[in-house]
Amino acid sequence: MKKGYLYTIVFMFIVALVFTTVLASVNAIFKSRILTNEQLIEKKAVLNAMSITYNDNEIDKLFANIEEVKKDNLVYYALTDGSNQIEKYAVYFEGSGLWSTLTGYIGVGGNFKTLLGIDFTSQNETPGLGGRIEEEWFKVQFKGVSISDLPLTYGNGIDAITGATLTSKSVMKIINDTINNQVKELEAMK
Amino acid sequence: MKKELQTVFYRNLWKENPVIRQILGICSALAVTNLAVNSLVMGLGLMFVTALSSFTISLLRNYIPQRIRMIVQTLIIAAYVIVVDIFLKANLPEISKALGPYVGLIITNCIIMGRAEAFAQKNPPVLSLFDGLFAGLGYTIILLGVALIRELLGFGSVFGYSLNMVNFTPWTIMVMPPGAFFMIAIFIWISSNMMSKRTEKAKLKKQEAK
Amino acid sequence: MLNSPNISPFVIFFASIITSNMILSNFLGMCSFISVSNEYKTASGLGKSVTMVMVVTTIINYVIYKYVVVPLSLEYLRYIIFIIVIAASVQIIELVMDRYLPDLHIKLGIFLPLITVNCAILGISLFMVIRNYDFWQTLLFGFGSGLGWWLAIATLAAIKEKVAKNNIPKGLEGPGLTFIITGLMALAFIGFSGIFVIQ
Repeated sequence: MKKGYLYTIVFMFIVALVFTTVLASVNAIFKSRILTNEQLIEKKAVLNAMSITYNDNEIDKLFANIEEVKKDNLVYYALTDGSNQIEKYAVYFEGSGLWSTLTGYIGVGGNFKTLLGIDFTSQNETPGLGGRIEEEWFKVQFKGVSISDLPLTYGNGIDAITGATLTSKSVMKIINDTINNQVKELEAMK
Repeated sequence: MKKELQTVFYRNLWKENPVIRQILGICSALAVTNLAVNSLVMGLGLMFVTALSSFTISLLRNYIPQRIRMIVQTLIIAAYVIVVDIFLKANLPEISKALGPYVGLIITNCIIMGRAEAFAQKNPPVLSLFDGLFAGLGYTIILLGVALIRELLGFGSVFGYSLNMVNFTPWTIMVMPPGAFFMIAIFIWISSNMMSKRTEKAKLKKQEAK
Repeated sequence: MLNSPNISPFVIFFASIITSNMILSNFLGMCSFISVSNEYKTASGLGKSVTMVMVVTTIINYVIYKYVVVPLSLEYLRYIIFIIVIAASVQIIELVMDRYLPDLHIKLGIFLPLITVNCAILGISLFMVIRNYDFWQTLLFGFGSGLGWWLAIATLAAIKEKVAKNNIPKGLEGPGLTFIITGLMALAFIGFSGIFVIQ
C-alpha cells in the first residue's frame, strides 16, 4: 500500500491530536485526586515519624492537633496535647542519597531526648539495594534512639543495608545533620 | 473463533511464554519483583497496555503508512502507558511511588512491540486484543511466581502479610538484584526441561506408531 | 520542585559504571543484553553504540524537559516526548554517521534500530527527571551508565565464549545459563559497593 507524503503527515497529525486530547482530559480528571494523594503521603509520613498509629480514615481528625510551621529552612509539624504543650515534633529533612534527593521527616519527642521514628516521602535509590531504606525493619531501628550523644553511628543495634553501604551512610549523615541543625535550632527556640 | 482463542491462549501462556521462552520484556520488571503486590500491579498494567495497544494497532492496521509504522505504534503504546501511570498515581499512590520510573519503562517493554509487530499487524482487532491480554497474562504469571518466592525467602511474607515463622533468617540475597537473575534462570531451566521431555515423548510415540 | 541532589557528578559517573550498573542492578536493557551477547566483538560494538546514543539522547531530553516541557507544564506527556526524541535522534545519528563516518556506520549501524527499544536509554532519561539532576550530573550519569552497560555486556560475552566450550546441562543451555552468569556478575559488582566516599 503506497501512500503519499501528505497522507503520512495528516495521519500522524490526527493520531497525535487524538491521543494528546485523550491524555489531556484523563490528566485533567485525575489532577486534583493526585494532588490529594501527594498530601496524604506527606501526612502519613508525619504520623509515622511521630510513631502514631492510625487507620486511613482518621488521618484528618489526628491532624486537628498537629500544626505545620515553616520558617526559613526549618519546616516542621508539632503535635500539641490537651494542655497546649508540644508533645512531639516531626522535622522535615532533605538530603542527598547515593542517587537522588531523599526527603522525609524525623520525629523527636517534646523533650528533645529521643528519636521517635523516621519516614521518607521521596527517594529514588536502586530498588532492592538502596531503595530498601523504605523497609519497615530499617526505619524501626531509629525508634527510641537517644540523641544525647551524637553523632549516631551504625552498630549498637542499628544495622546498615547489605550491598547499599553508601545509601545507608547517607541516611545516617542526613539524620545527624538534621539533629545538629534543625532540631537544635528548634530546641533553642523553645 | 473459539479455537483460535484457545491457540492464542496456549501459545502465549506456555509454548511461547514471553518471559521464559522468548526472554522478552524482562527489562522493566525484574527490579520490582521483590514484592508480590508490586509485581501484580505491574503485570496488570502491562496486560492493559498490551491488550489495548494491540487492539488499537490492529484497528488502524490498514491505515497506518508503512514508513512511520514504528513511531505510530510507539505513540499509541506510550499513550496507554501514560493512562496507566496517571491512574496509579490517582488510585494507588503508594504502589505508584514504589514502582517509580518502572511504570514508564513499560513503553520499551519488548513484549508489547513484539505482539504489535508479530500479531496485531495481520489479525482482526478482537483477536489481537485477546492475544495481547494473554501475552500480558503469561508475563504476569511468571513475574508473580518470581516475586512470591523472592518475597517469601527474602522477607518471610506473602503479599505483605508476615508468616511469623519462628527461627527464620531472611535470605537477603533474594531481595537484592542477583536473586531475581537466579530465580529467572531456575524458571527457564525447569520450563525447558519440561519442554524437551514433552518433545521426546512425542518423538517416541511417533516411532512406536511406525 | 525539589533542588538537584548535592552529589558530585563524578561520584554519579563512577557509581553508575560499577556499583549501580544499569543492567546488573537496575535490570535495564535486558533484551539486547541477553540476545546480543554470544560474541565478544558484536557485544562490544553494541555497547559502544549504546554509550553514544545514551549520551546524546540524555542531553537532548534534559534540554527539552527543562526548557520546553516544564515551562508548559506538560510533565504528564514526558514519556511520549522522550521516546520520540530517542527515536528521532537514533535516526539522525544514523544519517550523520552514514554521511561522515561510513566506516563506523558499517560497524555499528546494524545495532542502531535495536537501540530505540532499549529500555536503558529511556530509563536514563526517566531517572534523570525523577532524581532532579542538573546538567553535569545528567551528562556524567548518561555517559557512566553507557560505559557500565558496555562493560557488563562485553564481560558477559567474554565469559559466555569461554563457557560455551564446556559441558552444560541440557535445560540450561542458552538463556538459562546466561541468567546465572549475570546473577553472579551482579553479586560481584555489589561487592564494589562502598568504594566511593560521598561528599
